[in-house]
Amino acid sequence: MNARARLLMFLFAWAALGPAVVVLILHLPRFGAHALPYGDLINDSAPRERHVTNAVSAVNFDYRGIDTLGEEFMLLCAVTGVVVLLRSKRGERVDAPAGRVEARSLRPRSDAVSGVTRVLAPVTALFGLTVALHGMTTPGGGFQGGVIVASAILMVFLGEGYRSWRKSAPSIAFDAAEGAGAVLYALCGFASLLAGLPFLTNFLPLGTLRDVFSGGLMLIENAGVTLAVAGGFTVLFGEFLEETRVETRDDES
Amino acid sequence: MNALPWAVSAGLLAIGLYGMVTSRHFVHLIGCLSVVQASTYVLLLAAGFRWNAIAPIFYSFAPGTPAVDPVVQALVLTDIVVGATVTALLLALVLELHKRRGTLDPDQLRPLNRDRKG
Repeated sequence: MNARARLLMFLFAWAALGPAVVVLILHLPRFGAHALPYGDLINDSAPRERHVTNAVSAVNFDYRGIDTLGEEFMLLCAVTGVVVLLRSKRGERVDAPAGRVEARSLRPRSDAVSGVTRVLAPVTALFGLTVALHGMTTPGGGFQGGVIVASAILMVFLGEGYRSWRKSAPSIAFDAAEGAGAVLYALCGFASLLAGLPFLTNFLPLGTLRDVFSGGLMLIENAGVTLAVAGGFTVLFGEFLEETRVETRDDES
Repeated sequence: MNALPWAVSAGLLAIGLYGMVTSRHFVHLIGCLSVVQASTYVLLLAAGFRWNAIAPIFYSFAPGTPAVDPVVQALVLTDIVVGATVTALLLALVLELHKRRGTLDPDQLRPLNRDRKG
């Protein structure tokens, strides 16, 4: 099917479905003024039953904790998929020189970039850890904090260059962090099984409301997610970065 | 005003799908997929919105203050993380494809293409 036929089919489908979408939109409940029974239930019970002030984290790590476990493994699968796909051909060598475009001069990294990233990277990492640690009380959590930590690691590459980055952030450490995070989350579930409770039951002391260390088992799950997300995103970045290195193996090209 | 959030979501879906249908490059197609995904964020957040309510975080406001729906927000969080990693997986597939076939134009990548290399 060529592009024109595809577009015609798309327009035909849209012409058929479009009016239905318009009718549907006009008959939906009033925006922002309809009942939210599930949300109200969680908002009511999260501070009372789970002693956490962030209801979103309560949903993610407790009420629907098993969904997040599934998401953890989806993350693990996607990262593993990328690693297997890209490394199967490239191998695990990390000493290849940088690829470069012919006839484009190689400029040295400016001192300003190094200076700014040296100041910003630790601050960003600290900020990411803060966001992750306060996930049960204020906006944040393992997913958001993990991504910020990963971007701090990325800044090290930006400021120090490939070789120093690889030396200070070896791939195997982040592969391990990614896997360990997912395992830690799963172990939380098995720990409650060992305690004779249903899977992922929050059996640890819940702490006091508005305290950083409130939420019991959620805190450990949150730590697992932080590890997995920070590790996973760093691995992803590292794998794509390796693709820009020149192939030096003989069986290629 | 009442229909605007839903219309934005439907519009994003339509734009993304149009881009995917007319796409001539797989990286462009993955970008369009992200636009389609963005429509689900808008839809979910709009479904859980409530006027004159706070975010579902009861740190500075006492529990019991009217708040928006935390369930859809948790869903969007999941959606974003999975979306980002799946995008990475798709880009890795595209990289491999480019290494093997030397092109990323879907029209030149038909399964029955005779001039494919091994």
